[in-house]
Amino acid sequence: MRLDPRTKLYMILIVSAVVLMTATTPFLWGVRILMTMVPIALLFLEKRYASAVRFLVFYGVALALTFFFLSEESSGILTAILIGYCGIVVQFLPAMITAWYVVRTTKIDEFMSAMQRMHVPDGITISLAVVMRFFPTIKEEYMAIRDAMKMRGIMFGGGNALKMIEFRMIPLLFSCVNIGDELSAAAITRGLGGKGKRTSVVELKLHIQDWCLIFLFTVAAGIFVAGKYFL
Amino acid sequence: MSEEIIRIDHVSFQYKGSKEGLLSDISLSFRKGETVLLCGASGCGKTTLIRLINGLIPHYYSGEYSGEVTVDGRSIRETEQYEMAGIVGTVFQNPRSQFFSVDTDGEIVFGPENIGLAPKDILERKELVVSEMQIKKLLGRSLFELSGGEKQKIACASVSALLPEIILLDEPSSNLDWQAISDLAESIRRWKEQGKTIIISEHRLWYLKDLIDRVLYLNEGKVEHEWSGEEFCSLSEKEVADLKLRPVTIEEKYISAFTDETGKISAGGAGRSKEVSGNRVVLTDYYFSYDRKFPLKKVKKHIGETNNACDGCSEPDCPKEHLESLQLCIPKLSLSKGKVIGVIGRNGTGKSTFLRCVCGLEKRCTGVIEADGKTYSGKDRLKLTYMVMQDVNHQLFTDSVKAEVFLSMENEDEKRCDEILHKLGLLEFKEKHPMALSGGQKQRVAIASAIAAGAKILLFDEPTSGLDYAHMKQVGDMLQALAHAGSTILVSTHDPELLALCCDEVIQIENGRVVYYS
Repeated sequence: MRLDPRTKLYMILIVSAVVLMTATTPFLWGVRILMTMVPIALLFLEKRYASAVRFLVFYGVALALTFFFLSEESSGILTAILIGYCGIVVQFLPAMITAWYVVRTTKIDEFMSAMQRMHVPDGITISLAVVMRFFPTIKEEYMAIRDAMKMRGIMFGGGNALKMIEFRMIPLLFSCVNIGDELSAAAITRGLGGKGKRTSVVELKLHIQDWCLIFLFTVAAGIFVAGKYFL
Repeated sequence: MSEEIIRIDHVSFQYKGSKEGLLSDISLSFRKGETVLLCGASGCGKTTLIRLINGLIPHYYSGEYSGEVTVDGRSIRETEQYEMAGIVGTVFQNPRSQFFSVDTDGEIVFGPENIGLAPKDILERKELVVSEMQIKKLLGRSLFELSGGEKQKIACASVSALLPEIILLDEPSSNLDWQAISDLAESIRRWKEQGKTIIISEHRLWYLKDLIDRVLYLNEGKVEHEWSGEEFCSLSEKEVADLKLRPVTIEEKYISAFTDETGKISAGGAGRSKEVSGNRVVLTDYYFSYDRKFPLKKVKKHIGETNNACDGCSEPDCPKEHLESLQLCIPKLSLSKGKVIGVIGRNGTGKSTFLRCVCGLEKRCTGVIEADGKTYSGKDRLKLTYMVMQDVNHQLFTDSVKAEVFLSMENEDEKRCDEILHKLGLLEFKEKHPMALSGGQKQRVAIASAIAAGAKILLFDEPTSGLDYAHMKQVGDMLQALAHAGSTILVSTHDPELLALCCDEVIQIENGRVVYYS
C-alpha cells in the first residue's frame, strides 16, 4: 500500500507526541498499543517481514515483562536494569518503529515533493534529503572500515574503549567529508540550489487510505489526551 | 570551421591553501561539436580545467583566479552556478559520490526538476534518454545495488536529461571494467553524433581512439602539446610512453583475455595444479554464498567425498541448485609462491568476493590456505594475509605513519619499523599524518603495516584505478619488489596495462569460478 509522505510525516508527529505522555490506565495502554500496531502492520504490507517481526517480538516481550513479571515490589539489581530497559522500550519503541517505517519506505524525491507541497523552505528540505541520502553511504563506509579493522586485528582497540571508537570514527569522518564534498559538487552542477522553483515529477495525492490513517491517528491522539487529562 | 563555444583567456588558478599554481596563463578555445581529450599526469591541471568550464571554480572551489572563461557566450564568473546546469553537464570519476537520489528514476529526473521544468516535459525527457541509452532494465532500482558500470550509465543518463550543449567527463572510466568502458564509449559516440561538444579528461586512452578530434597534453598547468586525433593515434608506443601516458593501443591478448569467453577454458588446462611442492600456496575448499542460511559445510563435505581429484577449473559434482547459489566455488587452487598474480574478470563477477574470502574476511567461507607446510583456516587466515583496499583511506587509523606501523606490531620495534619504512621509501614521512599524504603514499603506508604484521600473502583490490601511467608503473614496480622479497601477491585489476607491467601469472574469475589460470 502506498501512502503519501505527508501522511507518514503526520504519523511520526502524532506517535512522537504520544510516546512523550505516559499511559496511566489500561484503556490508555490499549490506545498506545493500537497505535504501535499500525506501523508494524504497514511494514508487513510493504513485505518487510523480517523487521516487522523483529519489532513485534521486541515490543511484545517488553510489554509482557512489564505487565506480568515486573511490579513495583520487584527488587534486586537485575530486575532494576530490566525495569529500566523495558520501560524505555515500551515507552519509545513506537516512535522508532514509525520512523523506521517512514525512512525505509519513502523515496527521496517523494519526500522532497511532499515538503515542497507543504511550503517548507528548500534549504530545510534539501538538508533533510541529504541526511536521508547519507544513511546508506555511512553504512557502506562503516562496513568497509570494520573489515579493515578485522584485518588489522584491532576490533577491540587493544582493550581500550576510547581507541575502539577512535579507530572507527576517524576514517569514517574523513571519508564522509570527502564523499559529501564530491556529492555537493555533483549536485550543484546539475542545478541544485537555484533561485527558480524546483518542480517534481512525483504526483502526490491523498488517497482514501491516507485519509483513513490521518483520521485514525487524530482520533487516537484525541482520545489519549482526553483520557489522560480530562477524564 | 564551426563557431567557438568555450573560450579560456589567460587563466591562472591556484587553490586556496595550496602553494603551487595549478594553471598558469592558459588560453584555449573549443569549437562547437568537437570532442577533445585532455591528458597528462595526475596533478597536471586536467580536473581544474574541467572545473573552470563547469563553473565549480570559482563558485564552489575558491582560490586565486585571474583571466576569463566564457562558455556559450556567458562569462562564468558572472553567471550563477545553477544557470550553467542546462548548458554544461559533467560526469565525474567516482560513481559512489555523484548521486543525489537513492533510486535510478529519481536520479535521472533530478537535474530537470532542479531547473524547474514542467513535470510533463521532464517525463518526456526521461523516456527519451532511457530509450536512447537502453537502460530500461535499470529503472526502479536502488543505486546502491548497481555495479560501477551501471552507475556510470545512470550518471551519463542524468547528464543527458538536462540536454546540455557541452558535456565534460572527468576520468569517467577509472572504476570500470572492459565491458562497461565499451558502453561508456558508446554513450560518448551518441553524444558526438548529436553534435555536442565533449571534453574528456582521462588516463585510460585506448577506448577513446576513434572518438577524439583533438588532444591536449597538459604538463604542470600548461598546454605542452596539441595534436589532432589522427596524429595522436599514430604516435609510436615509445613516444606515448615518453609522455608518461598510458598506451593508446593495448596488445590484443589482454583485450581478448577480458572478452573472449570460450578460448581460454580449453587453454585453461594449465590451471591444473602443476606440482604441489613447497613453493606453492594452495587454496582448498573455497566455497562461499551470500545467503546466510546456505549449508556451506554440507556442500564442502559432499564435494570432498565425491570429487577428490578435482582441479582448479572443473565444476565439482554436487546438486545443481547448490552450485547456482554458490557465489564462490574454488575446490582447489595452487598458486606460485613469491609471484605477482593478477586477478581479472568483469565487475561483479566475484573478484572482490574471492579476495575477501582468501583473506578470511568472510567468516563463513570454508576455505583453507596451505603455505610453507602450514595450514591456515578460520581466523588464522587474517594473520597470514592482508588486503590493501581500493579506498585505502578506510584502513589508516592513527595520527602518524610510525604509529600506523606500530599498531600492527605486537611489540613496538623502532628499528624494524624504520627498516620497513625505508624499504618503501616512507622514512621521511615517519612523523606525518597519514591523511596528509598522497594517494600512492597512503597505499604504501597500508603495505608497511601489512609487512609489520607479518603478512605473507598480500592482496590488492584495484590498486591502480584512477592512476596515471607513472604512478601505475610505480605500483607495478613495488608489487614486483614485494614479490621478490618473498610475499605472494594477488592483485585484482581492470587495467590491462598493469597486467602487462608486472603480473607473472593471471587468474580469470567468472561467476565465482576460476576459468583460467596461467
